[in-house]
Amino acid sequence: MKSETRFQILVSVAAIGLSMLTGYAASQPVSNTLASPESFAGIAGTAARSAAMFTELGKVLTHPRCTNCHPAGEHPHQTDASRLHQPPVTRGPDGHGTETMRCSICHGNANFDPGRMPGHPEWHLAPREMAWEGKTIAEICAQITDPARNGGRKVEDLIHHIGADTLVGWAWHPGFGRSPAPGTQQEAGALVEAWVKTGAACPAK
Amino acid sequence: MTRLAITINGRALAPTEVRDDLTMNDFLREHLGMTGTKFGCGAAQCLSCAVIIDNPDGTSYTSPTCVVSAISFDGKAIRTVEGHAKNGELTALQKAFIEHFAFQCGYCTAGFLNEAQVLLERLARKPVARDELEKTIAEALDGHICRCTGYVKYHEAVRDVVLADPKRYLA
Repeated sequence: MKSETRFQILVSVAAIGLSMLTGYAASQPVSNTLASPESFAGIAGTAARSAAMFTELGKVLTHPRCTNCHPAGEHPHQTDASRLHQPPVTRGPDGHGTETMRCSICHGNANFDPGRMPGHPEWHLAPREMAWEGKTIAEICAQITDPARNGGRKVEDLIHHIGADTLVGWAWHPGFGRSPAPGTQQEAGALVEAWVKTGAACPAK
Repeated sequence: MTRLAITINGRALAPTEVRDDLTMNDFLREHLGMTGTKFGCGAAQCLSCAVIIDNPDGTSYTSPTCVVSAISFDGKAIRTVEGHAKNGELTALQKAFIEHFAFQCGYCTAGFLNEAQVLLERLARKPVARDELEKTIAEALDGHICRCTGYVKYHEAVRDVVLADPKRYLA
Protein backbone atom coordinates (compact mmCIF):
# COMPACT_ATOMS: atom_id res chain seq x y z
CA MET A 1 0.00 0.00 0.00
CA LYS A 2 1.31 3.38 -0.90
CA SER A 3 2.07 5.64 2.04
CA GLU A 4 -0.32 8.28 0.62
CA THR A 5 -3.20 5.81 0.58
CA ARG A 6 -2.28 4.60 4.07
CA PHE A 7 -2.39 8.21 5.26
CA GLN A 8 -5.80 8.80 3.69
CA ILE A 9 -7.19 5.71 5.43
CA LEU A 10 -5.76 6.83 8.75
CA VAL A 11 -7.30 10.28 8.35
CA SER A 12 -10.67 8.75 7.47
CA VAL A 13 -10.62 6.40 10.47
CA ALA A 14 -9.62 9.28 12.73
CA ALA A 15 -12.41 11.46 11.35
CA ILE A 16 -15.01 8.74 11.85
CA GLY A 17 -13.73 8.13 15.38
CA LEU A 18 -13.82 11.82 16.19
CA SER A 19 -17.35 12.18 14.85
CA MET A 20 -18.47 9.24 16.98
CA LEU A 21 -16.93 10.77 20.07
CA THR A 22 -18.54 14.12 19.28
CA GLY A 23 -21.90 12.45 18.84
CA TYR A 24 -21.42 10.59 22.10
CA ALA A 25 -20.67 13.81 23.93
CA ALA A 26 -23.67 15.51 22.39
CA SER A 27 -25.96 12.71 23.48
CA GLN A 28 -24.87 12.81 27.11
CA PRO A 29 -27.73 13.53 29.52
CA VAL A 30 -27.90 16.85 31.24
CA SER A 31 -26.16 17.15 34.57
CA ASN A 32 -27.60 14.90 37.23
CA THR A 33 -26.55 17.18 40.05
CA LEU A 34 -28.28 20.11 41.70
CA ALA A 35 -26.64 23.45 42.35
CA SER A 36 -26.73 24.70 45.91
CA PRO A 37 -28.66 27.85 46.86
CA GLU A 38 -25.37 29.55 47.65
CA SER A 39 -24.23 29.15 44.07
CA PHE A 40 -26.92 31.64 43.01
CA ALA A 41 -25.55 34.40 45.25
CA GLY A 42 -24.08 36.15 42.25
CA ILE A 43 -27.52 36.97 40.85
CA ALA A 44 -28.25 40.50 42.01
CA GLY A 45 -32.06 40.79 42.11
CA THR A 46 -33.87 38.72 44.75
CA ALA A 47 -36.71 37.79 42.40
CA ALA A 48 -34.30 36.82 39.65
CA ARG A 49 -32.29 34.74 42.11
CA SER A 50 -35.44 33.07 43.39
CA ALA A 51 -36.63 32.28 39.87
CA ALA A 52 -33.21 30.92 38.97
CA MET A 53 -33.32 28.57 41.93
CA PHE A 54 -36.73 27.31 40.86
CA THR A 55 -35.39 26.72 37.38
CA GLU A 56 -32.66 24.59 38.93
CA LEU A 57 -35.29 22.72 40.95
CA GLY A 58 -37.12 22.21 37.66
CA LYS A 59 -34.51 19.57 36.79
CA VAL A 60 -36.17 17.47 39.50
CA LEU A 61 -39.77 18.42 38.81
CA THR A 62 -39.56 17.61 35.11
CA HIS A 63 -37.66 14.36 35.66
CA PRO A 64 -39.53 11.15 34.73
CA ARG A 65 -39.37 10.02 38.37
CA CYS A 66 -41.68 12.92 39.16
CA THR A 67 -43.73 13.48 36.00
CA ASN A 68 -44.61 9.78 35.60
CA CYS A 69 -46.84 10.07 38.67
CA HIS A 70 -47.92 13.66 37.99
CA PRO A 71 -49.55 12.75 34.68
CA ALA A 72 -51.92 14.80 32.57
CA GLY A 73 -54.93 12.51 32.45
CA GLU A 74 -55.97 9.32 34.13
CA HIS A 75 -53.01 7.06 33.55
CA PRO A 76 -49.54 7.01 35.12
CA HIS A 77 -46.42 6.54 33.07
CA GLN A 78 -43.36 4.46 33.77
CA THR A 79 -39.68 4.00 32.95
CA ASP A 80 -37.18 6.67 31.99
CA ALA A 81 -38.93 6.84 28.62
CA SER A 82 -42.20 7.73 30.36
CA ARG A 83 -44.18 5.17 28.44
CA LEU A 84 -47.77 4.46 29.44
CA HIS A 85 -48.06 2.25 32.54
CA GLN A 86 -48.48 -1.43 31.81
CA PRO A 87 -50.70 -3.14 32.79
CA PRO A 88 -53.23 -0.43 31.96
CA VAL A 89 -54.31 1.26 35.17
CA THR A 90 -56.26 4.38 36.00
CA ARG A 91 -56.07 6.73 38.94
CA GLY A 92 -59.48 5.86 40.38
CA PRO A 93 -61.41 8.11 42.74
CA ASP A 94 -58.57 8.68 45.20
CA GLY A 95 -55.43 8.38 43.09
CA HIS A 96 -54.74 4.91 44.51
CA GLY A 97 -56.22 3.04 41.57
CA THR A 98 -59.61 1.56 40.89
CA GLU A 99 -61.52 -0.71 43.25
CA THR A 100 -60.26 -3.84 41.56
CA MET A 101 -56.78 -2.60 40.62
CA ARG A 102 -55.33 -0.74 43.58
CA CYS A 103 -51.75 0.49 43.30
CA SER A 104 -50.84 -1.50 46.41
CA ILE A 105 -51.71 -4.82 44.75
CA CYS A 106 -48.38 -4.69 42.92
CA HIS A 107 -46.51 -1.85 44.61
CA GLY A 108 -45.42 -3.07 48.03
CA ASN A 109 -43.93 -1.19 50.95
CA ALA A 110 -40.50 -1.02 49.35
CA ASN A 111 -38.82 -1.59 46.01
CA PHE A 112 -38.73 -5.26 45.02
CA ASP A 113 -35.88 -5.36 42.57
CA PRO A 114 -36.16 -9.07 41.61
CA GLY A 115 -39.57 -8.18 40.15
CA ARG A 116 -38.42 -4.72 38.96
CA MET A 117 -41.26 -3.38 41.07
CA PRO A 118 -40.96 0.00 42.75
CA GLY A 119 -42.65 0.38 46.09
CA HIS A 120 -43.62 2.62 48.98
CA PRO A 121 -46.40 2.27 51.58
CA GLU A 122 -48.25 5.26 50.10
CA TRP A 123 -47.73 4.56 46.41
CA HIS A 124 -50.29 6.60 44.46
CA LEU A 125 -50.75 9.25 41.81
CA ALA A 126 -50.57 12.98 42.41
CA PRO A 127 -54.02 14.61 42.18
CA ARG A 128 -55.34 15.61 38.77
CA GLU A 129 -54.86 19.30 39.48
CA MET A 130 -51.16 18.65 40.09
CA ALA A 131 -50.46 17.33 36.61
CA TRP A 132 -46.97 18.36 35.48
CA GLU A 133 -46.66 16.23 32.40
CA GLY A 134 -45.92 18.32 29.31
CA LYS A 135 -45.61 21.60 31.20
CA THR A 136 -42.76 24.06 31.20
CA ILE A 137 -40.92 24.90 34.40
CA ALA A 138 -42.64 28.30 34.45
CA GLU A 139 -46.04 26.64 34.14
CA ILE A 140 -45.22 24.20 36.91
CA CYS A 141 -44.07 27.08 39.09
CA ALA A 142 -47.33 28.95 38.54
CA GLN A 143 -49.19 25.76 39.41
CA ILE A 144 -47.16 24.85 42.46
CA THR A 145 -47.69 28.29 43.99
CA ASP A 146 -51.44 28.14 43.48
CA PRO A 147 -53.20 26.43 46.45
CA ALA A 148 -56.04 25.45 44.15
CA ARG A 149 -53.61 23.39 42.10
CA ASN A 150 -51.03 22.23 44.63
CA GLY A 151 -53.14 20.21 47.02
CA GLY A 152 -54.09 23.23 49.14
CA ARG A 153 -50.53 23.84 50.26
CA LYS A 154 -48.82 27.08 51.14
CA VAL A 155 -45.47 27.45 49.43
CA GLU A 156 -43.85 26.95 52.85
CA ASP A 157 -45.41 23.48 52.99
CA LEU A 158 -43.53 22.54 49.84
CA ILE A 159 -40.25 22.67 51.77
CA HIS A 160 -41.29 19.58 53.69
CA HIS A 161 -43.20 18.00 50.82
CA ILE A 162 -40.26 18.09 48.43
CA GLY A 163 -37.47 18.01 50.99
CA ALA A 164 -38.69 15.35 53.43
CA ASP A 165 -41.80 13.45 52.22
CA THR A 166 -40.75 9.82 51.88
CA LEU A 167 -42.87 9.08 48.80
CA VAL A 168 -41.29 12.06 47.04
CA GLY A 169 -37.96 10.81 48.39
CA TRP A 170 -38.44 7.55 46.49
CA ALA A 171 -37.50 9.52 43.37
CA TRP A 172 -33.88 9.48 44.56
CA HIS A 173 -33.94 5.77 45.41
CA PRO A 174 -36.00 4.30 42.57
CA GLY A 175 -34.46 0.85 42.42
CA PHE A 176 -33.03 -1.19 39.60
CA GLY A 177 -33.30 0.13 36.05
CA ARG A 178 -34.56 3.61 36.82
CA SER A 179 -32.45 6.75 36.91
CA PRO A 180 -32.81 8.73 40.13
CA ALA A 181 -33.92 12.35 40.17
CA PRO A 182 -31.00 14.81 40.01
CA GLY A 183 -29.05 15.59 43.16
CA THR A 184 -30.39 14.47 46.50
CA GLN A 185 -33.66 15.08 48.29
CA GLN A 186 -31.80 17.19 50.84
CA GLU A 187 -30.37 19.36 48.06
CA ALA A 188 -33.81 19.72 46.48
CA GLY A 189 -35.24 20.62 49.87
CA ALA A 190 -32.55 23.27 50.35
CA LEU A 191 -33.38 24.76 46.96
CA VAL A 192 -37.11 24.88 47.75
CA GLU A 193 -36.45 26.50 51.10
CA ALA A 194 -34.17 29.13 49.56
CA TRP A 195 -36.70 29.71 46.78
CA VAL A 196 -39.51 30.25 49.30
CA LYS A 197 -37.40 32.54 51.46
CA THR A 198 -36.57 34.69 48.46
CA GLY A 199 -40.22 35.23 47.60
CA ALA A 200 -41.05 32.08 45.60
CA ALA A 201 -40.65 33.90 42.30
CA CYS A 202 -41.38 32.03 39.10
CA PRO A 203 -39.23 32.03 35.98
CA ALA A 204 -40.70 33.96 33.07
CA LYS A 205 -40.65 30.98 30.72
CA MET B 1 -34.77 -15.17 55.10
CA THR B 2 -38.19 -14.27 56.41
CA ARG B 3 -40.97 -16.45 57.78
CA LEU B 4 -44.01 -16.77 55.54
CA ALA B 5 -47.39 -17.98 56.76
CA ILE B 6 -50.03 -18.28 54.09
CA THR B 7 -53.31 -20.06 53.40
CA ILE B 8 -53.68 -21.48 49.90
CA ASN B 9 -56.96 -22.83 48.63
CA GLY B 10 -58.29 -23.08 52.18
CA ARG B 11 -55.30 -24.93 53.56
CA ALA B 12 -52.98 -23.14 55.99
CA LEU B 13 -49.37 -23.96 55.18
CA ALA B 14 -46.94 -24.44 58.02
CA PRO B 15 -44.87 -21.26 58.35
CA THR B 16 -41.80 -21.54 56.21
CA GLU B 17 -38.60 -19.53 55.79
CA VAL B 18 -38.24 -17.95 52.36
CA ARG B 19 -35.66 -15.70 50.77
CA ASP B 20 -36.56 -12.02 50.75
CA ASP B 21 -35.90 -11.86 47.00
CA LEU B 22 -38.17 -14.82 46.18
CA THR B 23 -41.15 -13.92 44.02
CA MET B 24 -44.57 -15.29 44.85
CA ASN B 25 -44.64 -16.95 41.46
CA ASP B 26 -41.45 -18.88 42.22
CA PHE B 27 -42.75 -19.79 45.65
CA LEU B 28 -45.88 -21.35 44.14
CA ARG B 29 -44.27 -23.01 41.18
CA GLU B 30 -40.82 -23.98 42.42
CA HIS B 31 -41.27 -24.45 46.16
CA LEU B 32 -44.79 -25.85 46.23
CA GLY B 33 -44.94 -27.34 42.75
CA MET B 34 -48.23 -25.56 42.05
CA THR B 35 -47.63 -24.96 38.37
CA GLY B 36 -51.21 -23.99 37.54
CA THR B 37 -50.15 -20.42 38.19
CA LYS B 38 -48.20 -19.42 35.09
CA PHE B 39 -45.19 -17.23 34.54
CA GLY B 40 -45.80 -15.08 31.47
CA CYS B 41 -44.29 -11.68 30.87
CA GLY B 42 -42.63 -11.36 34.26
CA ALA B 43 -43.67 -7.71 34.38
CA ALA B 44 -47.28 -7.80 35.61
CA GLN B 45 -48.46 -6.95 32.12
CA CYS B 46 -50.17 -10.13 30.94
CA LEU B 47 -51.62 -11.27 34.29
CA SER B 48 -51.35 -14.96 33.43
CA CYS B 49 -49.77 -15.26 36.89
CA ALA B 50 -52.71 -13.72 38.75
CA VAL B 51 -54.07 -15.41 41.86
CA ILE B 52 -57.06 -14.53 44.04
CA ILE B 53 -56.49 -12.86 47.38
CA ASP B 54 -59.33 -13.19 49.89
CA ASN B 55 -59.94 -10.32 52.28
CA PRO B 56 -61.19 -11.08 55.79
CA ASP B 57 -64.44 -9.22 54.98
CA GLY B 58 -65.35 -11.74 52.30
CA THR B 59 -64.33 -9.61 49.32
CA SER B 60 -61.54 -10.65 47.02
CA TYR B 61 -59.28 -9.36 44.28
CA THR B 62 -56.59 -10.67 41.99
CA SER B 63 -52.91 -9.97 42.16
CA PRO B 64 -50.03 -10.80 39.84
CA THR B 65 -47.39 -13.00 41.43
CA CYS B 66 -44.45 -12.48 39.09
CA VAL B 67 -43.38 -9.05 40.31
CA VAL B 68 -44.19 -9.24 44.00
CA SER B 69 -42.31 -10.90 46.77
CA ALA B 70 -43.53 -14.07 48.45
CA ILE B 71 -43.18 -12.45 51.86
CA SER B 72 -45.62 -9.71 50.86
CA PHE B 73 -48.26 -12.45 51.00
CA ASP B 74 -47.52 -13.23 54.64
CA GLY B 75 -50.74 -13.70 56.59
CA LYS B 76 -52.91 -13.71 53.49
CA ALA B 77 -55.35 -16.26 52.14
CA ILE B 78 -55.13 -16.89 48.41
CA ARG B 79 -56.75 -19.11 45.83
CA THR B 80 -55.03 -20.50 42.78
CA VAL B 81 -56.44 -22.23 39.74
CA GLU B 82 -55.93 -25.56 41.52
CA GLY B 83 -58.51 -24.51 44.10
CA HIS B 84 -61.54 -24.00 41.89
CA ALA B 85 -62.83 -27.54 41.40
CA LYS B 86 -64.18 -29.30 44.47
CA ASN B 87 -63.87 -33.08 44.79
CA GLY B 88 -63.07 -33.34 41.13
CA GLU B 89 -66.19 -31.42 40.10
CA LEU B 90 -65.49 -28.43 37.89
CA THR B 91 -67.24 -25.16 38.70
CA ALA B 92 -69.88 -23.70 36.41
CA LEU B 93 -67.29 -21.20 35.28
CA GLN B 94 -64.75 -23.86 34.39
CA LYS B 95 -67.40 -25.81 32.50
CA ALA B 96 -68.37 -22.68 30.60
CA PHE B 97 -64.74 -22.10 29.65
CA ILE B 98 -64.61 -25.63 28.23
CA GLU B 99 -67.96 -25.32 26.43
CA HIS B 100 -66.86 -22.12 24.75
CA PHE B 101 -63.36 -23.45 24.14
CA ALA B 102 -62.33 -20.24 25.88
CA PHE B 103 -58.65 -20.93 25.49
CA GLN B 104 -56.31 -22.19 22.88
CA CYS B 105 -52.84 -22.71 24.21
CA GLY B 106 -54.28 -22.30 27.71
CA TYR B 107 -51.39 -20.34 29.12
CA CYS B 108 -53.49 -17.34 30.14
CA THR B 109 -56.49 -19.39 31.26
CA ALA B 110 -55.61 -19.57 34.95
CA GLY B 111 -55.43 -15.79 35.17
CA PHE B 112 -58.69 -15.31 33.28
CA LEU B 113 -60.40 -17.96 35.39
CA ASN B 114 -59.31 -16.32 38.64
CA GLU B 115 -60.35 -12.88 37.43
CA ALA B 116 -63.73 -14.15 36.26
CA GLN B 117 -64.28 -15.94 39.58
CA VAL B 118 -63.63 -12.70 41.47
CA LEU B 119 -66.11 -10.97 39.15
CA LEU B 120 -68.81 -13.58 39.79
CA GLU B 121 -68.36 -13.26 43.54
CA ARG B 122 -68.54 -9.49 43.26
CA LEU B 123 -71.71 -9.70 41.19
CA ALA B 124 -73.23 -12.07 43.75
CA ARG B 125 -72.66 -9.40 46.39
CA LYS B 126 -73.50 -6.45 44.17
CA PRO B 127 -75.57 -7.43 41.13
CA VAL B 128 -75.62 -5.24 38.04
CA ALA B 129 -78.39 -4.49 35.56
CA ARG B 130 -78.47 -6.64 32.44
CA ASP B 131 -77.61 -3.70 30.24
CA GLU B 132 -74.44 -3.10 32.26
CA LEU B 133 -73.28 -6.70 32.09
CA GLU B 134 -71.24 -6.59 28.88
CA LYS B 135 -69.30 -3.54 30.03
CA THR B 136 -68.84 -5.03 33.49
CA ILE B 137 -67.35 -8.23 32.11
CA ALA B 138 -65.12 -6.35 29.68
CA GLU B 139 -63.80 -4.08 32.41
CA ALA B 140 -63.22 -6.97 34.80
CA LEU B 141 -61.19 -8.99 32.29
CA ASP B 142 -59.36 -5.95 30.98
CA GLY B 143 -55.62 -6.21 31.48
CA HIS B 144 -55.44 -9.97 30.92
CA ILE B 145 -53.64 -10.74 27.70
CA CYS B 146 -54.38 -13.75 25.49
CA ARG B 147 -51.86 -14.26 22.69
CA CYS B 148 -54.33 -16.60 20.96
CA THR B 149 -56.90 -13.76 21.03
CA GLY B 150 -59.57 -15.77 22.81
CA TYR B 151 -61.09 -12.69 24.37
CA VAL B 152 -64.56 -13.07 22.90
CA LYS B 153 -64.81 -16.67 24.06
CA TYR B 154 -63.73 -15.79 27.56
CA HIS B 155 -66.28 -13.01 27.59
CA GLU B 156 -69.05 -15.28 26.33
CA ALA B 157 -68.22 -17.97 28.87
CA VAL B 158 -68.49 -15.55 31.78
CA ARG B 159 -71.70 -14.08 30.37
CA ASP B 160 -73.25 -17.53 30.08
CA VAL B 161 -72.59 -18.27 33.74
CA VAL B 162 -74.17 -14.98 34.77
CA LEU B 163 -77.21 -15.39 32.53
CA ALA B 164 -77.73 -18.95 33.73
CA ASP B 165 -78.37 -17.62 37.22
CA PRO B 166 -79.80 -14.11 36.78
CA LYS B 167 -81.37 -13.96 40.23
CA ARG B 168 -77.94 -14.32 41.72
CA TYR B 169 -75.93 -12.02 39.52
CA LEU B 170 -78.28 -9.49 37.95
CA ALA B 171 -80.17 -6.65 39.56
